[in-house]
Amino acid sequence: MSYDISKMRNIGISAHIDSGKTTLTERILFYAQKIHAIHEVRGKDGVGATMDSMELERERGITIASASTNVTWNNHEINIIDTPGHVDFTIEVERALRVLDGAVLVLCSVGGVQSQSITVDRQLKRYNVPRLAFINKCDRVGANPFKVKNQLVEKLDLNAVLLQLPIGLEDKFEGLIDLVTMKAYYFEGAAGEQIREDEIPEDMRGEAEEKREELLDAASMFSDELAEAYLEGEATEEMIYDAVRRGTLERQMVPVLLGSAYKNKGVQTLLDAVVRYLPEPREVHNYALDLDKDEEQVELVSDFQEKTVALAFKLEEGQYGQLTYLRIYQGTVKKGSELYNVRSRKRFKVGRLIRMHADTMADINEAYAGDIVALFGIDCASGDTFCDPSLNYSLTSMYVPKPVISLALYPKDKKASDNMSKALARFTKEDPTFRTYVDEESNQTIIQGMGELHLEVYIERMKREYRAEVETGMPQVAYRETITSRADFNYTHKKQTGGAGQFGRVAGYIEPFHEGDYEFVDETKGGVIPREYIPACDAGFKKGMEKGALIGFPIVGVRVVVNDGSTHAVDSSEMAFQAAAFGAFREVYKKAGPILLEPIMKVSVDGPNEFQGNIYAGLNQRRGVIVSSNEDGSFSQVEAEVPLSEMFGYSTVLRSMTQGKAEFTMEFLKYGKVPQSIAEELIQEIRKKNEKSS
Amino acid sequence: MVRTELVKRSPLRLMEKSMHGGVGKGNIGILVSKKGIGKTACLVHIATDKLLQDKHVIHVSYSSRTDHIISWYEDIFKEIARKRNLESAMTVHDEIIKKRVIMNFSQEGTKTEQVLTSLRSMIRDGNFKAEAIVIDGFDFKKGGNDDLEQIKAFAVELDLEIWISTSMEQEELKTDKNGVPKGMQPYIDNFCILVNLVPEREFIRLQLVKDHGTIPNEDLHIKLDPKTLLIAE
Repeated sequence: MSYDISKMRNIGISAHIDSGKTTLTERILFYAQKIHAIHEVRGKDGVGATMDSMELERERGITIASASTNVTWNNHEINIIDTPGHVDFTIEVERALRVLDGAVLVLCSVGGVQSQSITVDRQLKRYNVPRLAFINKCDRVGANPFKVKNQLVEKLDLNAVLLQLPIGLEDKFEGLIDLVTMKAYYFEGAAGEQIREDEIPEDMRGEAEEKREELLDAASMFSDELAEAYLEGEATEEMIYDAVRRGTLERQMVPVLLGSAYKNKGVQTLLDAVVRYLPEPREVHNYALDLDKDEEQVELVSDFQEKTVALAFKLEEGQYGQLTYLRIYQGTVKKGSELYNVRSRKRFKVGRLIRMHADTMADINEAYAGDIVALFGIDCASGDTFCDPSLNYSLTSMYVPKPVISLALYPKDKKASDNMSKALARFTKEDPTFRTYVDEESNQTIIQGMGELHLEVYIERMKREYRAEVETGMPQVAYRETITSRADFNYTHKKQTGGAGQFGRVAGYIEPFHEGDYEFVDETKGGVIPREYIPACDAGFKKGMEKGALIGFPIVGVRVVVNDGSTHAVDSSEMAFQAAAFGAFREVYKKAGPILLEPIMKVSVDGPNEFQGNIYAGLNQRRGVIVSSNEDGSFSQVEAEVPLSEMFGYSTVLRSMTQGKAEFTMEFLKYGKVPQSIAEELIQEIRKKNEKSS
Repeated sequence: MVRTELVKRSPLRLMEKSMHGGVGKGNIGILVSKKGIGKTACLVHIATDKLLQDKHVIHVSYSSRTDHIISWYEDIFKEIARKRNLESAMTVHDEIIKKRVIMNFSQEGTKTEQVLTSLRSMIRDGNFKAEAIVIDGFDFKKGGNDDLEQIKAFAVELDLEIWISTSMEQEELKTDKNGVPKGMQPYIDNFCILVNLVPEREFIRLQLVKDHGTIPNEDLHIKLDPKTLLIAE
């Protein structure tokens, strides 16, 4: 492959679950001639779509891991990152977005903008990703791409502009009218691979003219040249392409394309648009932090002659060992060359260098700035930065949310236990939102993650890929404790049992703190507590906050102010003051009105109106607060805030009470107070459990 | 100021005094004006006042998005809290928003019958104990007396106080000798309170056109502050 960075595209395909993203990816690979037969996601031939490389995904018909694949279209190299659609795995989406230069937002022409599309769009906005919209499934009953386009404008606040018009809809969906060339295109042949250009059907001329005007009005905003030419009726295709491209890159415009991937319509024209409107790597600004210069921000240059900077954004356990997906931001990665892992501070040699196509791979010798490739056998974690050994750059840390749910694992036997450890080591490297630790008291292995489904998938993978037979405990919500009022402390730690004694006194108060988890303020005067012991006090309070007295969960939202104390010339030490602070906190905590907090999730349920009563009732029973409902024709979307502890098993309940016609997404919103009656029950329950185990 | 005091000193108490205690349960009150005068702000203020009294409120709207409406509530609450120096405003805020649901109907021409079915579902199935409903942007051209009667019956059945806002064109806002806007004349028997928002040079004046059985057409001596759009004396 010859290297021309202007002909490189790194794109993601983001979508609501079931809007046909995997089918679309499959068609893209097909038309780019990488695979020779098209398999359906839930295929009758049992092969399954090529992008879903994991067995489990095949079974569930959803895409969990993002694999990157390379295709060639019109002399352009396109790397496609298939991103998962379910919100439980959004860290995967977020990580994929970090390495993308552009995205295609896939929408269903019937379902339109649903809750997941809103989440995905918010993520695209956060990472400033320019995007195209592809309204898929135009062949479905109830297809209405115009409605969906309006939803893009109204619900997502995007300047969405149609570039095409459908010729017929639902089962009469035949082809597309291109509003730039003003021609009709039909997709013929066994798999729509032959495109026939024709005149616009007579009865659609007027509509096409009208929509073209809308397009030109919108595009003119981004090009004076086009605006002038348009007024004089001399707008050329090139001018329009150029203006739309500018609007897209500035993220002021979202071109909308139409089609039906399943019926093999509109995929090639979408690929043309990807090449035409989405940015090449040099058009996107990427920054790194220079660790030698106090994390000063440095802009990276997409040039193969510069020193190498690359991001390991995805790890995968392949057939032949660990595969590390890499986005090269600057310089060249060569087989046999040396790179530096900034996090682990280790140098390593590049072994096999691979270009990926979903399940097959091609060995290459070098890859350049802007590209996405994979390395074999590198020991690293996902999110690591690889640099030329003379640099010490780190790509900005990615936003990683804290886990909200945990689960105890019980391996069936010794072998299962060993395999489980291997699996956990792998998963925690792949996914920063998935964590594990061994609980000191119970000696149980605990896993933590972002939701029930998130953990379930890993348990499944453990069984399948690692043959680790494990049983699981009940999911446990990550509660927190906090205080509600100010309370004073004055505590003396004193021990004199032979040898050197221990002495330290700390006094002050604790009070609720809303801006963060913890703040320590030293207001002592005149050295009543010697300077060198202040950090020990801080450490003692922090230690006290690790386990609350109510149910043993971490304490948050406390400001500690120390304003007095005393010391002893011989017996005071760091240890003594740390013990004093710890003791003071334990004592004062009970007086400061401690309460329990629980994670509250933002839940969004989509479903037909006929079930809204059931949906309301279900949320109400789960202590949910319904914030809003939005009815659009026969469909409604309900937004609610529900405690996570009440959401276990909700997917099954929702499915059964709506005949599988409703779906929901949830994400962590905030910590909220546990109602008194429930808090009491919880405290009782946990105390009983502790009594039993001791 | 504490919450109870704030409720007591609200300009809405003055308004209620002028209209024999307010709209009352099982009744409908209407706010009318031309577009862009501040009806939504007015309704949100009325709703927030109910919320501060610990009452549950449903806000019905016909717009494209619900987040705009939520920001109206945020703004109005912030203004009230600031102006009256409300104590522990954040806690009050977090408490009252649990008592508010926004029900939006984004498809044009959603039938009143459908809206009422959804409201009933929220109150019954969702166990949401609404005491008041505000309906923002009811279109009298699409739903006339039939719809009003349905809403009225609904208010009686579920013991609700309902406030409706509606926009009219300049022409329809012209009043007859009793002060009733032309556009409202056909419906005058189907609601009990009618307040006309009249733009003056510096502010918006609230004119009480209909008050239960009578047509007093009197100045309520309260106005909308043009900056904050809060109801003020």
